Amino acid sequence: MYLDKFFNPQSIAIIGATEDPQNITSTIIQNLFEMGFKGRVLPVNPHHDKVFGLKCYSSLLDIKEKIDLSVIAISSSHVIEILEQHIGSGIKNSIIISGGFAEIGNKGEAIEENVKKICRENGIRVIGPNCLGVLDNYSNFSTFFLPWSKVKRPSKGYLSILSQSGSYSISMLDMLSLEGIGVSKLVSYGNRADVGESELIEYLTDDESTKVIGIYMESVDDGRRFIRASSRCSREKHMVVLKVGREDSGVDAARSHTGAIAGKYEVYKAAFKKSGIVEVDNLEEFIDACKVLSMQKPARGNKVLVLTNGGGFGVSVSDMCGSMDLDVAKTPSEIKESLSKHFPEYFILNNPIDLTGSSGDEDFGTVLETAFVDNDYFDAAIVIPLMPPHTMTERVVDIISQSAEKSGKPVVVCTISGEYTKKVKELFEIKGLPVFPSPGRAVKAMSVLVDRGGMHGI
Amino acid sequence: MAYDATRKMEIEIIVEKISDSGKKIALPDEALDIVKLAGIDVPDHILVKSPGEAMEASAEIGFPLVMKTASTEAIHKSEAGGVVLGIQGVQEVEENYNNIMANLKRETPNVQISGILLQKQIPEATHLIVGGLHDEQFGPVVMFGMGGVLVELFKDVSFRIAPVTKVEALEMIREIKAYPALSGYRGSKALDIEQIVKTVIIISDLITNISTIKEVELNPLLAYEKDVMAVDAKVILR
Repeated sequence: MYLDKFFNPQSIAIIGATEDPQNITSTIIQNLFEMGFKGRVLPVNPHHDKVFGLKCYSSLLDIKEKIDLSVIAISSSHVIEILEQHIGSGIKNSIIISGGFAEIGNKGEAIEENVKKICRENGIRVIGPNCLGVLDNYSNFSTFFLPWSKVKRPSKGYLSILSQSGSYSISMLDMLSLEGIGVSKLVSYGNRADVGESELIEYLTDDESTKVIGIYMESVDDGRRFIRASSRCSREKHMVVLKVGREDSGVDAARSHTGAIAGKYEVYKAAFKKSGIVEVDNLEEFIDACKVLSMQKPARGNKVLVLTNGGGFGVSVSDMCGSMDLDVAKTPSEIKESLSKHFPEYFILNNPIDLTGSSGDEDFGTVLETAFVDNDYFDAAIVIPLMPPHTMTERVVDIISQSAEKSGKPVVVCTISGEYTKKVKELFEIKGLPVFPSPGRAVKAMSVLVDRGGMHGI
Repeated sequence: MAYDATRKMEIEIIVEKISDSGKKIALPDEALDIVKLAGIDVPDHILVKSPGEAMEASAEIGFPLVMKTASTEAIHKSEAGGVVLGIQGVQEVEENYNNIMANLKRETPNVQISGILLQKQIPEATHLIVGGLHDEQFGPVVMFGMGGVLVELFKDVSFRIAPVTKVEALEMIREIKAYPALSGYRGSKALDIEQIVKTVIIISDLITNISTIKEVELNPLLAYEKDVMAVDAKVILR
């Protein structure tokens, strides 16, 4: 595929390469070493003969071998000259990390326009400028200039991120690592002089290692193309978007109420809906949505079983479900009858089911088997096992995860983080059950699965 | 599509006529004619330019009727004394024609008035709004919500990218906060949801298919237990 060389280049030229730790190229090269990148790395810099032991070329035109991709991290005032060398050396793909383009105003805009013109006329594709570029966990390739010692690289997985913001990209990677969510690709495309999210979505639609796509968006590159690409993509893959920059309509000439109310953001919302994309409101929700969609399947309906050994959490989770259109439907009488044979009278069997502090591991299994596995009334379950009672042990992890798997329906877990509970969280997540540290986040994550279930596609 | 090729052509003829005259905003009668051709019911109406024309037209439309200022410029008609409701006879038509013109001359002396729209008065009902617009980025968009003068205050509206399907139109209607009030709330009868759905689809198709229309809006669309009717329409060209 035509964007492949951005993700899996066999040879890359790094423009302005140096060992100087103050210069970002040194981190880019060291990161590549650390990741075990298998392609050829060709430093270009007239001031050096060697960079990190690699032969350094004074110009792109001196390199005889074929170069799949250039990485440009020099002052914007020299970028045009370098791009002109691309024409002679036949390089068709470039990632321009440098800032100093449209984002700084008139002078930079003029350079960026020139970049676009040269690229258009010579068939050169560009990611950036003013960006971090690409991370591909499958080809062990990245153009990131932040050291992996300070940003943890997530493990190999199935989530791909597209972001206009570099700082968000980095924070997302760190947060995803903490949550143990595997990543396939990340593209930070900055000013988007050429390649933008619509084309990247088209690319990721056919990428086997991408199953969930998360997008951080300030503005769209091409609205209709974005809807077309996303509608097709979301039939097979989950898509999440965080839209920032929700300014009001700038259309002051509009004389209809429709024009006045239709802020740009309202139209974006409508576009996401049309495209089958789940929209979230902030960074935390974004990570949670990517996590839950990576780990669980969408819900086929909105009837949610809430199961806990802590009454207060049952009530608060139910309240929040109500405000997000999740139905904490009353437990059907046949389920209640059969449960009452197992439990003392003071267990509360109306949904939310409260097993109280005197229950233990096995009781969670009994409820889930009866009300969720053997009976198809509920579409999904939020389980809140609070760990402090002595009757609660790590065995509850196996019990809950086995029932969840048997049910074939989505389950999310909420536990309130303490030191001991943190260990239990990790055990749950090894078993594939996503854990959220507060009722609000667990319910929001469940509502993502329900929303997604209501869309076309999967 | 909710209307056939002939109707589409008739709409295009009106639109062309408006833009040939150098205007961007349709007069109220032109806007009502456009949405009527698209398949939306509107009360009988005639645009008049003199008291004599007004009296003649009123006999044709029948009573009670409404008189509204017609201008392509943005004015708050009601505030400027440019709207009179419940007119019962020919005599009143003449008096009100002169009153309205005098009010406008006093309140909005610089606004160019194209005439007065006489419109059959229809019974009060729930006010809805259905609008369509061309977004620079995403193209045609359709909006539905609670109408009337407070629409910009409450913004109880929903949006979709056009064209919408029947399912999407119904979702839009169910999505607004006031939906329970439309579907029968505390003893009140449900409104004609099917006709509302149809109206949303017509506006969605209109904004999608007639590329020269930049914005179109029915406000208010009066919704009854049976049927809906657009009392005011706006059409803005590109």
